[in-house]
Amino acid sequence: MTNTSDPAKATATATASEHSTATSLRLEGLCRRIGGRAILDGINLEVAAGECLALLGPSGCGKSTVLRVIAGLDPCDGGRILLDGRDISEQKPARRRVAMVFQSYALYPHLSVERNLSLGMELRGVGPEQRERELVAVLELLQLSALRRRRPAQLSGGQRQRVALARALLRKPRLMLLDEPMSNLDAQLREELRPQLRAILRGGRAPAIYVTHDQQEAMGIADRIAVLQEGRLQQCGTPQELYHQPANLFVAGFIGRPQINLLPQGDGTVVGIRPEHLRAVGEGGLAVQVLSREWHGASQLLLLESAQGPLRWTCDGNQTLGDDLRLGWERRHEHRFRQAGGERC
Amino acid sequence: MRVSTRAGLVALLLLWSLGPMLWQLYTSMRTPEALLAGAGGLASGWTLANYGAVLGGDPPFWRYLLNSTVVGALSTLLTLALAIPCAYALSRRGGLLRLLVGGGLLAAAVFPYVLLFLALLQVARQLGLANNLLALCLPYAGLQLPLAVLLLQAAFAELPPELEESAVLEGFSLWQRLRWILLPLMGPAVVSTGLLVFLFSWNEFPIALTWISRSELLTLAPAMARIAGSSVYTVPYGAFAAATVLGSVPLLALLLLFQRQIVAGLTQGAIKG
Repeated sequence: MTNTSDPAKATATATASEHSTATSLRLEGLCRRIGGRAILDGINLEVAAGECLALLGPSGCGKSTVLRVIAGLDPCDGGRILLDGRDISEQKPARRRVAMVFQSYALYPHLSVERNLSLGMELRGVGPEQRERELVAVLELLQLSALRRRRPAQLSGGQRQRVALARALLRKPRLMLLDEPMSNLDAQLREELRPQLRAILRGGRAPAIYVTHDQQEAMGIADRIAVLQEGRLQQCGTPQELYHQPANLFVAGFIGRPQINLLPQGDGTVVGIRPEHLRAVGEGGLAVQVLSREWHGASQLLLLESAQGPLRWTCDGNQTLGDDLRLGWERRHEHRFRQAGGERC
Repeated sequence: MRVSTRAGLVALLLLWSLGPMLWQLYTSMRTPEALLAGAGGLASGWTLANYGAVLGGDPPFWRYLLNSTVVGALSTLLTLALAIPCAYALSRRGGLLRLLVGGGLLAAAVFPYVLLFLALLQVARQLGLANNLLALCLPYAGLQLPLAVLLLQAAFAELPPELEESAVLEGFSLWQRLRWILLPLMGPAVVSTGLLVFLFSWNEFPIALTWISRSELLTLAPAMARIAGSSVYTVPYGAFAAATVLGSVPLLALLLLFQRQIVAGLTQGAIKG
């Protein structure tokens, strides 16, 4: 491999991609059982090199377990984990060269930022000059240069998260795992960090799996989203696919805020219609009564009562409402699911 | 509670704990005549002769201090070297095994070891360990091991598991994780466990008395008993008191020295995110 690119441009992105060859991850029927109970039940997934996949699901759905099994912290009770086509499910965690950012960051509290970052390299036998070079590059990349002598306790939540990310990058991982890395940060900081994190994960050539229970975050960071419930994969696709073609009732209800309206029909099916797709109509449609109203500025959310059950309607914030309100929708916006089983018709 | 009441209570407690020690200090600096005369005249009767007698004895007192220090240090090191791996392994096990081993350790820790000293004497005879200073470390470490394992295991269990998992993923070996991550974070627990072992060994009497008979190999506790019983006709209160004061000075110094470290270790408190 010849490296002739100019050094000024290279330094910032060097750490993320240097030496890390493009890899891809494939999970085939991944299982994890604890005391006879299936925590993960045959998960099939594929993540390409340089791609970021979000694992999304309610708490307790097994999404963190997926990461732990891939990393080797929890045993794999069935199925295969293929990294670059080779099954790593029996390998020791250290040999898998997988980096993980923990929810609590797991920084070594007794060590300064620079020791937190360099200790791993030192123990892996990286020489002092190279250590310093890589340390400086990653500190610069994540804007931590001024903090290198601080202890974790002297850092803010966002800074700790960046240190944890830096440590993961220095591992030169073949696969990057992130377990709710933003959940300890306040909402505003989370929004600020999202594009940064997205850029860094894309910068590396290793695939990344990002676990979160926050769909905004999943949509903001990931290329594709895998929705998990009770240890089973419900659907995997781009945010647009999940939103416009939910594979079942669970995904339809889980993705999209405010939540989709689900109207049970007489024929054993359920019609799903997103709140923003409802329209006021003069004739026909559903007669509704306004129960409450949340005004959000550009839009307003109305909670309505109808003959078919409660409805949520997002409409223009300035729209005035008559007494005799009737709502309809276009057929192309309608999702239809089977009541039993919940899959899409 | 009013400040004066609180101050009074604190003073009472301090007097309660420190009283005997202060009395010992007082006794050590009085002439035998002054002691027998009662608390009459405090103006006269002060002397350092008791210290002179103890320090100038045969063998000199520093010899006992040295013996106790050597035995204490080695027992502590041996206990920690064995207890740390045990505690780590136990803290990483769940369920029945941990419960059983933990229960067994607890039973062993609360067992009155005095009941064992005759049996231990037999062992020492059989193995030819009598009058061997370093051999004392064997029963001392053995007797303190259960408590040490229990204390350290609790300390290991308190560390967040992600810290070690993170190190595992970084490629650290078991030894590297202990050396660089876990033990530094457990500093206070290791120090206080070590101090307990050292204290036990410093104060231990029946085993030291029966295993050691040569006077230059005595540890402090039996040596002091020998000083107290050195005369048939009188009780050498002054000399005995001087010996106890001298015997507790190194211990006090040690505690003060490490107390600071313990406090420092606790205030470091950055384990939580």
